[in-house]
Amino acid sequence: MSDALHITMLLGQAADSAHAWPIAQPTDGFKWAGWILYLPIISTILCGLCAALKVHNKLPAWITVGLLGGSFITTVALYMQYTEPVTIYLFEWFNLKWAGSEFVAAFSLYVDKLTLLWMLFVTGLGTLIALYASEYMESDVKRGYARFFAGVSIFIVAMSALVLGDNLVMLYLGWEGVGFASYWLIGYYYQKPSAVAAAKKAFIVNRIGDLGLALGLWLTYHYFGTIEYAGIFEQVQHITAGEAANLEAGGWYITAIPFLFMIGAFGKSAQLPLFVWLPDAMEGPTPVSALIHAATMVTAGVYLLARMFPLMELHPAALPTVAWIGGLTALLGATIGMAQYDFKRIWAYSTVSQLGYMFMGIGVLTTFGAAYHVFTHAFFKAVLFLTAGAVMHGFAGQLDLRKISGLAKMNGWKIVSWTMFIGCLCLAGIPGTSGYFSKDAILAEAFVTEGGGFKVLGWIAIITAGLTAYYTFRVWFRICTGPVHFEMGDEHHGDDDHGHNGHDDTHGHDQPHAPRLAINGVLIILAIGAVLAAVPNFMGNESEHVHGGWVGDMVAESSAAGGLPDHTKHGSILGIDPHSAMYVISALVGLIGIAIAWRLHMASRSTADNLRARLLGNPATRWLPTAMENKWYVDEVYHAVIRAPLWILGHTLYILDQFLLDRGIIDGIARIPRVIARMFQPLHNGVLQSYAVSMAGGVGLVTVLVIMLPQLREFLNGLFGGGG
Amino acid sequence: MLGWLLLIPLATAIAIIASPARLAKFVALGGSSLTFAISILAALRFDGWELSKPSMIYEFPDWMSNPHYGILQYLEVDSVSLLLVLLTALIVPLCVWGSFTAINTRVKEYYGWMMVLLAAMLGVFMARDLIFFYVCFELTLLPMYFLIAIYGGANRSKAAIKFFLFTFTGSIITLAGLIYIGWQFTVSTATPWTFDILKLTNFATDNEPGGLSNIQQAWILLALLCGFAVKIPLFPVHTWLPLAHTEAPTAGSVILAAVLLKLGTYGMYRFVLPMVPHAVIEYAPAIAVLCIIGILYAALICWVQTDIKKLIAYSSVSHLGFCILGLVALNPMGVQGSVLYMLNHGLSTGALFFLVGMIYERYHTRDMTKMSGLSRRMPVWAFFMVFFVLASVGLPGLNGFISEFLCLIGAFTATADAPDYPGVLGPWYAAFAGVGMIFAAMYLLIMVGKVVFGPLKEPAVSEDEHHGSKLPVDLSFREIAILTPLAVLCLYIGIRPAPITDALAASIEDSLRLYPEMVTDHVQFAEQRSVTDDKDVVLTLVPSGDQPASEDEQTVDEKGALIDG
Repeated sequence: MSDALHITMLLGQAADSAHAWPIAQPTDGFKWAGWILYLPIISTILCGLCAALKVHNKLPAWITVGLLGGSFITTVALYMQYTEPVTIYLFEWFNLKWAGSEFVAAFSLYVDKLTLLWMLFVTGLGTLIALYASEYMESDVKRGYARFFAGVSIFIVAMSALVLGDNLVMLYLGWEGVGFASYWLIGYYYQKPSAVAAAKKAFIVNRIGDLGLALGLWLTYHYFGTIEYAGIFEQVQHITAGEAANLEAGGWYITAIPFLFMIGAFGKSAQLPLFVWLPDAMEGPTPVSALIHAATMVTAGVYLLARMFPLMELHPAALPTVAWIGGLTALLGATIGMAQYDFKRIWAYSTVSQLGYMFMGIGVLTTFGAAYHVFTHAFFKAVLFLTAGAVMHGFAGQLDLRKISGLAKMNGWKIVSWTMFIGCLCLAGIPGTSGYFSKDAILAEAFVTEGGGFKVLGWIAIITAGLTAYYTFRVWFRICTGPVHFEMGDEHHGDDDHGHNGHDDTHGHDQPHAPRLAINGVLIILAIGAVLAAVPNFMGNESEHVHGGWVGDMVAESSAAGGLPDHTKHGSILGIDPHSAMYVISALVGLIGIAIAWRLHMASRSTADNLRARLLGNPATRWLPTAMENKWYVDEVYHAVIRAPLWILGHTLYILDQFLLDRGIIDGIARIPRVIARMFQPLHNGVLQSYAVSMAGGVGLVTVLVIMLPQLREFLNGLFGGGG
Repeated sequence: MLGWLLLIPLATAIAIIASPARLAKFVALGGSSLTFAISILAALRFDGWELSKPSMIYEFPDWMSNPHYGILQYLEVDSVSLLLVLLTALIVPLCVWGSFTAINTRVKEYYGWMMVLLAAMLGVFMARDLIFFYVCFELTLLPMYFLIAIYGGANRSKAAIKFFLFTFTGSIITLAGLIYIGWQFTVSTATPWTFDILKLTNFATDNEPGGLSNIQQAWILLALLCGFAVKIPLFPVHTWLPLAHTEAPTAGSVILAAVLLKLGTYGMYRFVLPMVPHAVIEYAPAIAVLCIIGILYAALICWVQTDIKKLIAYSSVSHLGFCILGLVALNPMGVQGSVLYMLNHGLSTGALFFLVGMIYERYHTRDMTKMSGLSRRMPVWAFFMVFFVLASVGLPGLNGFISEFLCLIGAFTATADAPDYPGVLGPWYAAFAGVGMIFAAMYLLIMVGKVVFGPLKEPAVSEDEHHGSKLPVDLSFREIAILTPLAVLCLYIGIRPAPITDALAASIEDSLRLYPEMVTDHVQFAEQRSVTDDKDVVLTLVPSGDQPASEDEQTVDEKGALIDG
């Protein structure tokens, strides 16, 4: 099959199939939807003012919570009023027009159900986590409190722009904007070198992805002549064979679009090979980790691929690549997570792993599964991070699994322990929880969708699910059960400089202090959310060929519709219908994982250490725990393969620039006149006669030149005109 | 109106010499602010914002002008020129104000030279004849030479001499190229000499026999590049820049980065693009490759710098690579990006040099290894530093992004088969240049990470030095007032670039009007030529050597080769 034919087939499919999704039309109404963006902008400005005016109370937090809440309410109102996809024009940005073409990217919103799904949890969780942070960050009221909330607000602005934008440039604005917000907040404890380094690393690694996105954007513009979604989708839906052939005639480039978008998505969503920044990003305050590095920003890659799903089909190998990268990242993240002791980092690797599942979902053609997993994961992972934050807050930064136990038996820690338990159940995929349903939607689909070795991938994902259940409950058993024991951390909220010499350090360093209303309240709300996130799965669908309940509906009317499962052709697992089989298999695998965790970390708390010692003792198996604990040496490899050579190259170039280019060549050329001057120096000997001679010579030369002028011009013309 | 823009700085320079030394800075500030006010007024009265043929003209008085040779007849601005005039007139008063505490010796000379420099720079952007252009172009060297040589750092005399000789040598060759066009004009049209840029442009771009042949254009391009590429500066003739920047006083660095480098890019836009289109099309890929090498090469060098000022100086080399890359994309997007880049680089890099100067005034060092975590001590300074670094990195929402993005998308879409404006670059050029975006984030954020963030470490400053500076720990009101307008502009352009791009559109389309057709011809011709080349290979196997030669001649004739007088 020729590529052109392939493109026609894939693109044309959307128009032919029953899943043809509606494309947004411009509307004059809904201008108020702009307040979803404006409110966080106002919040950013007000928090900035608070920082400038040195406001030393909780005002910035209440401003942020209030205005983000307003943004959430506006989103809900938009959802209630929503009838069909629309684009809402706010104001102009890029507006270049010439001859027959244009390059237009306005601040304009593309509102369909996919947008709304994302915006609901982005603004909702944003508000809740800002509320949580009002208490969590309280010891910084006299320091960076306003700076922190300004960062959170600007993150919501950027994330909203990313999700709501009706064109790829606005998506790019949000894309880099969330990267900046992430940089700002990871580096919040700016006096701590590791935090500064982590912030820098996050931004730079993301920039690699951003370049991929930018190239994809330019290529999209190059072939479609527009970067507005509506324009692109219009062309995709109504593409004819001739047009496809024309597109294809442009060379192989067009088929590179999905791969370029992929690079962008893998950077932002921490997938192989660009995942290395996310674990380090845990240097930021924990609410930031929960909001940005677990629930919202890191799902931007999934959003991008879901939004641009029609273009992802431009190359037959694109989606399988996404699936495999996702699956392998899931496995890699889980194996590293199993061997870490810092439990916030475990949640970070778990996020990498779960994001892998989401990409796998996109890759195996279930954008519904991916979107649903994004949705459920946002809740339960936020719970897990926030409980980790509560522990950090109470135990002076202590996060080591080996140094805290029996949390559930301590006074005032019940809510934290049991909300963490709920989060763990969801993450482990225990039957009946939200994580169970959303993960199964992806796992089953791996066996349904034909091609790409997806069955192997499915089994990898099932094994990963077992590993996930193990490391999840390893944390819970270690932290919450067992004898009551704790060692306080040596940091205060990760900020060593403040902690030790800090003025109003009311907490003291000997006793943990249990969380209060804001933290507990938010934990309870989110835990309830995590449980209720299972409900949409059972809600009826508006049209009969759409599955997956409420989230299915949300996806079905968007550009991600192409990825809805086609239930006409079903694969099987071991001869059983995949969906039924998966309910059983994944439940079993999850329970086995928990049982192993129970055996190693609960029943006898030294078993795990013995096992590790035994593995390390045996030369044949020693590599396994070592490699897992050292994160498979990925950072080290990057350092050796990329950073070090570039660094050496930089120094080499600098030396070359200074010595060879500047002092050697340039100064060398500058020396030529001096050398020539030396040759003629004898002429300038101060003897009048010789001056007279050289003057006569000069006059003679000029005379000859004047006489010879026609010939000279002939010569020059020859040189310039025919000398090529 | 335009005449006043030249007259006032010069009058101010004289007033400075006449006034007592302690008043010199106020006179300079007043004079340069007045110039800025007039430039604003000119912009408001300018009615050619959306026209390709601008209407704001100043005719020199008869006794000055020489209509016979077309010298000193009139000044004129179009939207591109006016934008750069505004930038210049904004930057100089800020530089004057910024020098209030830094310059304490030979004050009158300092501000006097600064005013001469202002007049010369404005003259370059408004000139419409080659002689006045060239005089102003060279006249910028002299004041800058003195600013560096008298008020600069330890290695100032070497830096000043290198700056002067390097750029001077280049521009002499440029002059030769420009005069050659004038000569060809008289020869071909059998009319008296003229230096009127408009006439020469029309002549040079005349595709009919009588215009410049391809080979002539190539030589002229080379000659023009000698001056402009040094000024921009393009790799590999950039080596004067790090030295000059590092040694210049703060205001000198700011003007150098914000305006003087733009003389080169402006020259490329004003002369190279319209006068030698064949050569531009032929050599655009080569120029683009130089740009890309410059972008990556300078960025990697930035990465290993320990001197902040040198780092920012090298970053200019990297940034202006994007600017020229956009220009040789030869489509509206790329050229829009390029012209905007001139403005944006002036704002953000100018501000960065101010910020480095503020640190230098306080700590008397620019060594990154000696300082760290300064945001603890100087939060306001840190805010501005991070802001302008982000503008420079090209964060969307700030100005740098708009121009960088347009330059790159311009280069990306400049393929032979692009509709409307075919070009001779393509995706690969943008892809390689795009790596520069990653490097920019690397070197700038590492600098910020070292200097602004991290544990507090202040360079040791001796007591009397500390007292001598009389500066507050964080920024003073004056310093904030200097940075604020730049920051506001960066943000405004980042969010609302459309008014500026609208204003530029007509001028830019006008200067590109010849290109689409010529690029198409060029591409077809290149295809034909590759076919003929194949034939040549066959033919050269045949012992008779005449055949290929005659065919060569034919080709030259076809392309409207040189007809001589």
